[in-house]
Amino acid sequence: MPASNDAVRELIYRSCRCLDLQDFDGYIALCAPAFRYRITLYSPELRKEMIWLNHDRDGLTALLAMVPRHLVRLGTLQRNATVYTIDRNEADSRADVMSAFSVFNIDNEGRPSVFAVGHYHDTVDLSDDQPFLLSRNARLASRDLGIGSHIPI
Amino acid sequence: MSSRSAETWEQTPPLPEGHYVSGRVYNDEEIFSDEREHIFKKIWHFVCHESEVAEIFDFRTTERADVPLIVTRGEDGRIRTFINVCSHRGARVVMEPGGNARTHTCFYHHWTYDTQGSCVSMPRPEGYDGTGVCKENMGLREVKTEVKWGFVFVNLDDESPLLDEYLDGALDIFDQVLPKAELEVFHYHRAEIDANWKAYQETIVDLYHEFMHVILRDTQMPAASMDDREMRTYANGHVTIAGLKADYDKYEGWTDRNDASCFPGLDPDDARFAPLFPAQTFITRGTVMRVDTVQPITAHKCLIESRGLGLKGESEEERMMRIDHHNEYWGPFGRNVTEDAFAAEGCEFSFGKGAALRGIIARDEGGKGQCDSGLRGFWTEWSRRMGRPFSHPTND
Ligand code: FES
Ligand SMILES: [Fe+2]
Repeated sequence: MPASNDAVRELIYRSCRCLDLQDFDGYIALCAPAFRYRITLYSPELRKEMIWLNHDRDGLTALLAMVPRHLVRLGTLQRNATVYTIDRNEADSRADVMSAFSVFNIDNEGRPSVFAVGHYHDTVDLSDDQPFLLSRNARLASRDLGIGSHIPI
Repeated sequence: MSSRSAETWEQTPPLPEGHYVSGRVYNDEEIFSDEREHIFKKIWHFVCHESEVAEIFDFRTTERADVPLIVTRGEDGRIRTFINVCSHRGARVVMEPGGNARTHTCFYHHWTYDTQGSCVSMPRPEGYDGTGVCKENMGLREVKTEVKWGFVFVNLDDESPLLDEYLDGALDIFDQVLPKAELEVFHYHRAEIDANWKAYQETIVDLYHEFMHVILRDTQMPAASMDDREMRTYANGHVTIAGLKADYDKYEGWTDRNDASCFPGLDPDDARFAPLFPAQTFITRGTVMRVDTVQPITAHKCLIESRGLGLKGESEEERMMRIDHHNEYWGPFGRNVTEDAFAAEGCEFSFGKGAALRGIIARDEGGKGQCDSGLRGFWTEWSRRMGRPFSHPTND
């Protein structure tokens, strides 16, 4: 039975929660073997599209596995997402899913600040009742990320 | 001896003067404004690459020393720079970070300027009859502009020496690369961080902090002998670092770059740095080139601008490889620059309000290894321009 829209929404939210908790295995488990992750944005300075991160599933797995060895941004990141649209293509058992996200940084003293704002453009595999992420394009609307982050959005 | 008392903490360290930096340089407001006047308003600033204004009438806006600038390519193909301030009542003329426009009309009273900075129209000019105000003498203020190997530099000081005199040959460590390669910017980001501008720039000159970065511990430090490194300081505060190597596959999850298409004249494992005084850095790593500038915002905040460059006309596949290589190290989600910004903010925490009294720059490895000679070169030039010794820059 193809995955329902409720299951698709849960997949998106679960992906955010996994990254918030730095449960990287949990995040990767939501991704199909052919998963492609990208962070993209438009530069009005260059008047060009830019790619700020580009990994397949293995590359992303390796990247996430190295996070604990790095000197990372203090505090935690918290993603707030809302699924806006789910466009199902039943013939291909896929859906294009667009969600808005904001990512907050909560520092070690508990002070919140906005880290990034944008949209996830996801492709989701619907062929089973459990949907999987086939691709995620985390499309940034904001462009100044302060010191940046070792953990993707 | 283990911990220190107030007396031993505060006393001048038993080092030669030039081997420690007073913490006042990071938090004193008078020093901060002197830096704008004596350094940032006097030096040549890298502002953009010519590929950002490739077509006739292309423009970019930016700012240096708190002065807003428009860099634009005129009908004659020449790149010129103007202060982005209307001659009429001082409004900002161009709003967008980049674009293409034959003329720029100020939003306020519609004075219009062309790409040579001339005021070409003002509505109802007869109102100025007899005052001497007319479009002929109301052009934009032009700023000295020179282009070196495709890199556009400006200087706010009309009396400054020529660009080549300022560079003093420091960019020549790329002379096998830059004159032969037609480059193009594919990555641009700007980021405000909570740190004095010098604290960030020092991370680039300070090789000893390689220990902070996992990637440098894994890929760079073991890849070549410390004795093969060559750090050179120039009379005007620029530093070059050559002889660095990297084995990229030593970082878990990365592959080697041995077959990758490099910049002309570079090997895939080659790394070289040219941090120019005060805060603009050119770096190559075999397949990629990054150019950064750091600008003061306040004594406790700075703006980093970072660019990644590839070869013009390269295949889509090569460009993607270059983007990936750039991002691995240097993007906002990369493994290196994020940590340098972390370091600068970590120093701001202690220097910002004066808890840290000084920093030690006393490593002497004869310009090899992780020598502090580059830092001393930077600070010597800072002192010369500021008229203040960096070990004791204030009277307190
Ligand atoms: S301030 Fe620009 S036209 Fe008046
Ligand atoms: Fe660093």
